[in-house]
Amino acid sequence: MLRLTLTSARGHVVRFLLTAFSVMLGVSFVAGTFVLSDSIDVTLKGLLSNSLKGVDVTVRAAGSGTGAGISSGGTPATLPLTLQQTLTAVPGAARVVPDYQGSALIAGKDGTAVGGSGGAPGLGFAFRSDSPAFTLVAGRGPTGPGEVAVEKATLEKAKLAVGDTTQVVIGDRTRTVQITGEVTFGSLFGATAVLVDEGTARTAFAPNDTVPSFSITAAPGITQAALRDAVTAVLPATAEAVTGATMQDESAATLKTGLGFFTTFLLVFAGVALFVGSFIIVNTFSMLVAQRTRELALLRAVGASRAQVLRMVLGEAAVVGLVGSGLGLGLGLLIAAGAQAAIRGFLGADIGTGLPVHTATVVWSLLVGTLVTVAAAAIPARRASRTAPMAALRADASNTTKGLRLRGTLGAAMLATGTGLLLSGLWRDDPQWMFAAVGAVLTVLGMLVAAPVAARPVVRVITWPFERFGGVIGRLARESALRVPRRTASTASALMIGLALIAAISVLAASVKASVVGTVARDITADYVLTAGAASVPQPVGVAVATLPGVRSAARIGHVGLTAGAFTTDAVAADATSLAQNFALQISSGRLDALGRDTALVDELTATAQGWTVGTVLDTTVGSLKQQPVTVAGIFQASQAFSTHLIISRELYQDAVPTGQQSDDAVYVKAAPGTDLTALRGALVTVAKPYLVVSVQDRQEFTDATGTSVDTRLNLLYVLLLFSVIVAILGIVNTLALSVVERTREIGLLRAVGLRRRQLSEMITIEAIATAVFGAVLGTVLGLGLGVALQHGLISQGVDTLAVSWPMVTTMIIASGVVGVLAAVLPSLRAVRLDILTAIATDG
Amino acid sequence: MLGRTQPAPTTPPPNPPAAGSAAAPSAVAAEVVAPVVVAQAIGLSKVYGTGPAMVTALDDVTVSFARGELTAIMGPSGSGKSTLMHCMAALDVPTSGRVVVDGVDLGGLKDRALTQLRRDRLGFVFQAYNLVPTLTARENITLPVDIAGARLDVAWFDTVVDTLGIRDRLGHRPNELSGGQQQRVACARALVSRPALIFADEPTGNLDSRASAEILRFLRRSVDEFGQSIVMVTHDPTAAAYADRVLFLVDGRIVGDLADPTAATVLDRMAGLEQAGRVGQA
Repeated sequence: MLRLTLTSARGHVVRFLLTAFSVMLGVSFVAGTFVLSDSIDVTLKGLLSNSLKGVDVTVRAAGSGTGAGISSGGTPATLPLTLQQTLTAVPGAARVVPDYQGSALIAGKDGTAVGGSGGAPGLGFAFRSDSPAFTLVAGRGPTGPGEVAVEKATLEKAKLAVGDTTQVVIGDRTRTVQITGEVTFGSLFGATAVLVDEGTARTAFAPNDTVPSFSITAAPGITQAALRDAVTAVLPATAEAVTGATMQDESAATLKTGLGFFTTFLLVFAGVALFVGSFIIVNTFSMLVAQRTRELALLRAVGASRAQVLRMVLGEAAVVGLVGSGLGLGLGLLIAAGAQAAIRGFLGADIGTGLPVHTATVVWSLLVGTLVTVAAAAIPARRASRTAPMAALRADASNTTKGLRLRGTLGAAMLATGTGLLLSGLWRDDPQWMFAAVGAVLTVLGMLVAAPVAARPVVRVITWPFERFGGVIGRLARESALRVPRRTASTASALMIGLALIAAISVLAASVKASVVGTVARDITADYVLTAGAASVPQPVGVAVATLPGVRSAARIGHVGLTAGAFTTDAVAADATSLAQNFALQISSGRLDALGRDTALVDELTATAQGWTVGTVLDTTVGSLKQQPVTVAGIFQASQAFSTHLIISRELYQDAVPTGQQSDDAVYVKAAPGTDLTALRGALVTVAKPYLVVSVQDRQEFTDATGTSVDTRLNLLYVLLLFSVIVAILGIVNTLALSVVERTREIGLLRAVGLRRRQLSEMITIEAIATAVFGAVLGTVLGLGLGVALQHGLISQGVDTLAVSWPMVTTMIIASGVVGVLAAVLPSLRAVRLDILTAIATDG
Repeated sequence: MLGRTQPAPTTPPPNPPAAGSAAAPSAVAAEVVAPVVVAQAIGLSKVYGTGPAMVTALDDVTVSFARGELTAIMGPSGSGKSTLMHCMAALDVPTSGRVVVDGVDLGGLKDRALTQLRRDRLGFVFQAYNLVPTLTARENITLPVDIAGARLDVAWFDTVVDTLGIRDRLGHRPNELSGGQQQRVACARALVSRPALIFADEPTGNLDSRASAEILRFLRRSVDEFGQSIVMVTHDPTAAAYADRVLFLVDGRIVGDLADPTAATVLDRMAGLEQAGRVGQA
């Protein structure tokens, strides 16, 4: 029986390969995800142990679990430099150094900042000749404020060399420096690094004599744990000591969480691709079984049992699944490599070199692919096993078409229930996402079940123009597409799922964009906005801008961590007057101008959720200030333009955040009435230019940029969803190819009575277009519906404008027609090459 | 993109001539206007395979088919009778020799021209699977005309349909028709485009004797009343008896030519051939 299975699989090798191909695409995501995740693991371990080399114990402020020295926006509590004496005295501590670290940007040969305004940060460190964390590979270390050493990759990106002169921005000051040395680091994760002498580092990075941490190297023979215990004994309660190993683990965990979305993402798409692929598998096996009815019946007639026939078909599925999974494993390696390149490109982090293939990866990939294939083939296999031996003798063993009434009724019921759940879950003030999710799944499944019923009317409409203008060719194509509505529908379903996801996301994307752009345009009244991408705007910019002639007010926006009881948030710091002039903030109670040293503004949702009203006194921890009473002075309506829950005053911010760590996220500028805006812009650019990464945008540009950033984030999503569309195309190719085989005699007859080759391929192409557009129409309708529901559910989250990208929808439908044309290429080639005489003589 | 070309005007008009009375042109009238020969094979050979596996299906066959006649081709299995028909019908390409159909030399014609020739000047009736299952009887009948994008001659269509007695079945699909009805629809399809020549490959092979007789009577009528030229491959002496002339093929050669056959004379000749065959093999 096994030999029969293999022989049979070989006999239909092209069809099986196409099926295996769809399995492959699904599995490749699974494998790629595993490989990527493993490669991240391996690289992180290697890199971190390198970058933390020589650090046996780290002393840091209690409770501040920082990453591997990569600045992450927040303002961690700090330690006084005076702690160094205490630490040096600890027995077993061979070397104690304060970790001077801050932001440092370097201008490349072309005068712009290396690394640009987005992506990885520019870091500054102190150069110490005895530091084990880096190695001097050329030149010498910096000895004064006019000298720097630069990390190797940074230097390459800057297109500079040791001995060159360039500009650096360190600790908010721009200076011209000479590059005296080149160093290598264990790992910077794509960040740029500039090293300055210790004196300059201290001035720039520890202006108020505090540092985030101290690094301690143990004397020979002292373990990390022993040193940690010894250090802990002398520390004040505000500080804690952790071993280098712990630091590594924490850093690795932080980075992995940061990259986790990437692997989750890939796994989701693996699921989608496999789900879509399973339709193709069901389809292929159904058709193969139908075509082989006589062969199977003959087997039954000569004594094969039902179980044997079942096993044979399932065996074929297992072979196909195994082959597909194997291929998928290979493609997965490519996907992992691509993802590594993407991570390098987007995040600037050089993680994941090499492609480790663990046993678990292989096992999971093969298992998932094979199981999905066998499970999908189970229904056709069961049908095959029920073939009556008599079918071998029947002349015309054509497909039996069962009624679709039951399917229609069931599908409609599921659709109705699903839609009902969606509506009742989301069309309310507090969206019930669980209800909605169940509703969405039911709706999709209902659509899948009911699709064959929809095939007849929808395909008729789609093929109408072909029949109207193409005559009998169009009619033949239409009738072929409708011959087995169930098959047409399940072929189209693959495309339907893919396009439904794309449509839903496009609605959400367009709505988010419209909402963001709308609120930004409405709620920001500033004339100019100064930003520095992901980095912060250096302090002197804000100071200088405020004093420019023609500036009515400059709103410097900073942020600081704030905790009030169980409520933790990133509070925005702003000044009441400039806030009022640069933003159209809607105050629902209290007063905006009551914002002062000990008061705050709270957004309405938070106030309601926390039960706060104007006058409520909060006991807060703000930055380094503990038990700071803050009175709610006003309640404002949240806006995308100003995404925060709580606003504090600049005065409180300055007290809560050490001078060296204060920063502006952005500076908003409102011109005085009658000011020449062009001149003002020129002045702003002049102020910003020395800081390399600070950009000046007017309101329109800022709004556009905000919209563009939404787009950029969604592009990756579309690319991944395209994979499911590719799977769907394969499905159409497969079904068409099989249907050509099924119709060999009919095609021979048509050719004999005078159908030209071109007319034949037109016929097959029209059939493919009808199938693809049918899937696209269902998918688009479904996706638009889900997208609208999603948007409605997110109204309270600020996605308050429903927008549908009609060009996108139109493109999708038209593109699906093109997909049909492409999918028809191979099957019609096959059809026109059929020898007429052989075709007519073909059995069944 | 779906445009069609009309039959080339330079070629002789299909039989019967368009100028004649469409309903019932006499065979005599047709012969006066058109050449006597509708199709001919000259030195036709067909060889399959190479080396030891080489099979000669047709061996230097030269034969002419008269216009307005029903010619039967008979012979044992493997005698080359189907190959001869397929080569004559532009379905197969001969190894050597020439085929001229309705004045057109098939040699050197590309697939497109051959397809067009089949569509416009030839009609086919096969043994089985003659109809497109997704189309109704009416659509099946008009298929060649529709494929050509030509206008249907409604009067002629009505004549054919009524002659075959299938008017009440026109709206049905093939699977709703009996075998005999299906074959009558196939005959109507072959006739409706007024081809110069109809090839019928064992047209009664799958039918019972009553349905067979119906089909054969109809083929006879279409020759007598409409002046249609028909070449029919068969192994049934009763069927061959309906023909004006019977050609006998053995081992790729024409070994006999019988005019005005009856079932008895055909049987008689076949018995002789079989004996000759046995002697030849010995």
